[in-house]
Amino acid sequence: MDLTFREPALTVLAWSAISAAAAVLGVLPVAALGRGGRELPTTWLGWANALAAGMMLAAAYLLAEAGLAGPALPAALGAALGALAIFATHTALRRRRAAAGRTAFLIGALHSASEGVAIGVAMAVDLRFGIFLALAIAVHNVPEATVLCAALTARGRRLPAAAALAVAADASQVVLAVAAFALASAAPAALPWVKGFAVGALVNLVLTELMPDSYREAGHTSIALVASVTMGIVVLLRGLAP
Amino acid sequence: MTTAAALAAAAPALVVFAYGLATALATGLGAVPFAFVRTISPRAVAVANAVAAGLMLGACFGLAAEGTRYGAWQTIAGANLGVLFILGTQRFLGRREIRFGATGGVEARRMVLMVVVMTVHSFAEGVAVGAAFGGGMELATVITIAIAVHNVPEGLAISAVLRPRGTSLAACAGWSVFSSLPQPLMAVPAFLFVEAFRPALPWGLGFAAGAMVFMVFVELLPEAYEDAPRPAIGLLASLTLVAMLLFQRAL
Repeated sequence: MDLTFREPALTVLAWSAISAAAAVLGVLPVAALGRGGRELPTTWLGWANALAAGMMLAAAYLLAEAGLAGPALPAALGAALGALAIFATHTALRRRRAAAGRTAFLIGALHSASEGVAIGVAMAVDLRFGIFLALAIAVHNVPEATVLCAALTARGRRLPAAAALAVAADASQVVLAVAAFALASAAPAALPWVKGFAVGALVNLVLTELMPDSYREAGHTSIALVASVTMGIVVLLRGLAP
Repeated sequence: MTTAAALAAAAPALVVFAYGLATALATGLGAVPFAFVRTISPRAVAVANAVAAGLMLGACFGLAAEGTRYGAWQTIAGANLGVLFILGTQRFLGRREIRFGATGGVEARRMVLMVVVMTVHSFAEGVAVGAAFGGGMELATVITIAIAVHNVPEGLAISAVLRPRGTSLAACAGWSVFSSLPQPLMAVPAFLFVEAFRPALPWGLGFAAGAMVFMVFVELLPEAYEDAPRPAIGLLASLTLVAMLLFQRAL
């Protein structure tokens, strides 16, 4: 099955859009459970998060493997920048958590922009690898949208508006994926930097967002099992791919 | 050829034992801060956990890369066995803990459990050290340093439980080193096993990687998040991981 288009940029656009649109699925539980999403299926959310964490860590490992073949220092500096970018957006997000939905939305958008960079870079390395990462981030977008949508409706927003905001927060991902892909393709010299950035951002995203959320939503052991076994499966699939 | 490499050619098992012993002794360093302070803040232990998590994840990347070079599915199968091993050990301890509790007080039980948990998980680390020697001297040095450094916060964690409950400083260091003694003891058979059965090498490397990843996810991270803000834990662990990758690359 050919999952790519003749024009590589179109492939990037299509798959990052599919990944962002997966947020719609995350709205469904809130719609089914009503305002504020009372009695959210938290265990299920935790496992989805752990699954995404395993996929993303594996992607970071595979990117690091591909990235470290080149110059190490730019890659390492890029990785530090990627980790700092997630740290900065997350810290801002925490500080403004009590603030209006608009700020939370803006920072959420900034946040998914980092994920877009990772998708774009992975696409530049290999289109099929990029598609895989887009799917991994789609898995992460589902529970993320559930939580955001539940928080917005709990603050009194109507469900359609909350759902639209939850999906729109991921739109920046599409823009940044295409931009990062264009940059990496046009300026190969920048590739170690952006690869490093993607590795650092993915790892820190997992450690700052996905894992702590998972632990709160389900038991430590089941979370650790899902995340580590997923990591293994992904690394294996990549190793077996021609 | 370095001295260590020359020694490795002469008496491999002895060198593996010495490296394992060095990582065990490093655990005793964890007691050192208690010479200066009587209590250590939970936040400092959380920070140490985050650094350990970053180092171990970085080390796993190295183990996985080395293992998949020999065989991808064997490495991953080994990794799943490593996960199961830690899981089984935990379950086993969970059952025994109740019996320990019947004989001692709550405080005593906590202290015993701490030492037992740390000692048992050292078996996997010993296997990691031993298996790493099968992957070449460079990888072995990296993994040994990683585990030695990672042992210091473990010693710190053990001492943080024992010291405030009246254990002497020397005893804290002693129990810390004791908890890591399985490392030299397990490293030698793991190394010999890997040597004798080359095809088992990816299994061994995978086993160590799986055990370490699972330990990070099931023990270090949840504990770290409890006592320090998560952006700080995430950033620290991520930067440590990057530094570890750079370090492995440089060796």
